[in-house]
Amino acid sequence: MKRLSLFVMLLALIFTAVQCGGSAPAPAAPAQEEAKEEAAAPAQEEAAPAEEAAAEPEVASEEPAAEEAMTGEETVVTIGYTASKTGSQEVPSRGQTHGLELWLDQINQNGITLADGTVVKFQAVTYDDESAKERVQSLYTTLVEQDGANFLISPYSSGLTDAAAVIAETYGTTMITTGAASDDTYKKGLTLVYQLYTPASRYLTGAIDLLASLNPDAKKIAFVYENAKFSTDVVSAAQEYAESKGYEVVLSEGYDSEATDFAPFINKIAAAEPDAVMGGGHFNDGSTFARQLHEKETSVEFLALLVAPPELDFAELGDAALGVVGPSQWEPQANYTQEAADAAGVEWYGPTVADFVSAYQDKYGEEPGYHAAGGFASGLVLQQAIEAAGSVDPDAVRAALDGTNIMTFYGNVQFNTTPEAHGLQEAHEMVYVQWQKDADGNLVKQVVWPVEGQSAEPIYPLAQIP
Amino acid sequence: MSSSKPAPVGKAIDRGGFDLSAFKLGGWKYPAFWLAIGLILIGGFIPVFTGSNSWRETMFLILMAVSLASSLNIILGYTGYVSFGHIVFFGLGGYVGLYLITAHGWSLWTAALMGGLAAGTLALLLGKAILHLRGAYFALATIGVNEAVRTFINNFDLFGGAVGLEINFLVYKDYGGPATMQWLTYWAVFGLTLFIVVLSYGIKFSRFGLGLLSIREDEDAAMVLGVRTPSAKTWAYVLSAIVPGILGVIFFFRNSSIAPQEAFRLHRSIELIVMVMLGGQGTVLGPLVGATTYEALRSFLLTSPLFKDLQLAFAGLLLLLIVLFVPTGIVGWLRSRYRKLWRVLE
Repeated sequence: MKRLSLFVMLLALIFTAVQCGGSAPAPAAPAQEEAKEEAAAPAQEEAAPAEEAAAEPEVASEEPAAEEAMTGEETVVTIGYTASKTGSQEVPSRGQTHGLELWLDQINQNGITLADGTVVKFQAVTYDDESAKERVQSLYTTLVEQDGANFLISPYSSGLTDAAAVIAETYGTTMITTGAASDDTYKKGLTLVYQLYTPASRYLTGAIDLLASLNPDAKKIAFVYENAKFSTDVVSAAQEYAESKGYEVVLSEGYDSEATDFAPFINKIAAAEPDAVMGGGHFNDGSTFARQLHEKETSVEFLALLVAPPELDFAELGDAALGVVGPSQWEPQANYTQEAADAAGVEWYGPTVADFVSAYQDKYGEEPGYHAAGGFASGLVLQQAIEAAGSVDPDAVRAALDGTNIMTFYGNVQFNTTPEAHGLQEAHEMVYVQWQKDADGNLVKQVVWPVEGQSAEPIYPLAQIP
Repeated sequence: MSSSKPAPVGKAIDRGGFDLSAFKLGGWKYPAFWLAIGLILIGGFIPVFTGSNSWRETMFLILMAVSLASSLNIILGYTGYVSFGHIVFFGLGGYVGLYLITAHGWSLWTAALMGGLAAGTLALLLGKAILHLRGAYFALATIGVNEAVRTFINNFDLFGGAVGLEINFLVYKDYGGPATMQWLTYWAVFGLTLFIVVLSYGIKFSRFGLGLLSIREDEDAAMVLGVRTPSAKTWAYVLSAIVPGILGVIFFFRNSSIAPQEAFRLHRSIELIVMVMLGGQGTVLGPLVGATTYEALRSFLLTSPLFKDLQLAFAGLLLLLIVLFVPTGIVGWLRSRYRKLWRVLE
């Protein structure tokens, strides 16, 4: 009897949870629903057949539904993507999804008006990929075939994107990737996948340039990095770049992803006496490494770490965070403007940095990070390509993406169009942040490189920090 | 040993533990055998009947889960050894196969066989080393092995180290393009699933299989009866490793890349144990039912508009219910409830 009672209680719990799930909107749903609500009633009625057509699987693989609906006054383009709502990629994926949802909100207020008068609006379909590779191909096939996705946005991380790219290519559906920095993904013969992030091979090269500008006499660099795909990719390219610039790599040591004790590496750093230390991997290991370097009072004049420094939580390290440099795909202080675009001779497109930051803060109550900026930019670049193509025809949009050369709040965007590395990001550059103290003694993040994007002069060497 | 009349189990094991002459396929006489084959055939052809690629992808995951769970069942269900690190064979096979494809231009099929061979060899070596451990000690050792192999691969430059290996997309042209490749690999997994289920029956109805079951029930008593337990356990481990090794090659080939963190996911090992327990360990139909239920449930929850945000919570609750009320698994519960189903649900 007790078991029966327990069973009934559990069933009731499940039922309640299901009801909550039904009423709580999925992340993509608000954009979808708001888009419908915001559209004028007649346009909404006209859009309905387009939505139905977009749901036809055959249409998605052969002739996009949206193209059929071109004759109407309003057409709805379906964007499909998976988000890691659970698993190891949950946090960065959430930021990416927030950015994309904000773009959907904004674009669906008025839509894109094409030359023939058609108004293009967007709806998103998304699933949880659990940060697991085995889920990705199945879900992307569903997105393309059953949900009729006309365009795809990548999952977060290069590993998951590799799996999704196979499906995009199989069904001839263009995919814009964000959160997928690995160079290798774009060097294996893909034709429909376009990268927004600066490739991993250029993550730390700017830090080396920054070091050269600060101290032309610096000659020795130590690399201590997480022994994982992303960080190894980054450091391999950085080492090659450093050596090409005449630096001597005095230490190159990988540590396990779960490492919490960096004492052996710090001892080796002390023995090697480098002019700069670079490396890291992800937030936990990078911040622990920085903290232990500080605790052991290791003499390091220049410290650049991956991923951790751009995160706001890094400031919790206190003085250990002071002066640490980190590469970031984008920062709110980034100085990308209409004037900068004019000076560079490229087209400016989309909202200003301030507009994006303000809209994001209004919607989510927090400052956007680069994952969120990447998510927003993925939609923005697609929007720009549709406008440039004057159509939602996949071939026309693809051709427009190939010809993209713009500056946005997120920075420059231009894709490689050679068969060897089609889709690889060519123009976007990292910005490098450094934690400094403001007049009140509070830790603040400043952009210190490149020079044109600087919000403060870099502090160097770290030993001179008061 | 020779003067007294030995029991059938003892006779088989006396000739060397895993004796192929004693490996008699007697399972085909039972309705359960044909039920399992029928279920796989029906499930396997659903994508053909529906013409849906989404169904193909769903069934690919289900068939892969059935194969992995059935493989694990040989050591877990038949022999009673809980292997928490069984995914090591999947990962190692995948690495060996992708290395042969990317570095030496081998075809997928021969590379897949080599992946299976590598996994079997690793199991043979490990079996000699850790299968004398029992209970929790063996389970812990398998976790250690998975982590050790992952760390080794992470630092092994020949296999790409931490970066892993990437398949060039143009390779798929050799298999008729990516769309055809996906169907080919689907049918390969379908064939492997049939193979492992037939093998599971073969083992269960062989003297070798009876030896394994006796080890599960009481290893010391089995030894007294003449079962060469170290040898029998090792062969069971080897047999349970080969199919995951082959599957690893096919899966990572399909996904176009492999990296240590995704090849040796401990989480996946635990999922496999859940599948076997859910269906009913030690039965042939158990892993089939458990893996299908688990994967179908997850696929449904992930893509259901109603459940997709609560899919993990829902799956967790459901598993809790099953563990609370059906500890012998679905097949075990049906067998105990309906005696007439004993020969059908084996």
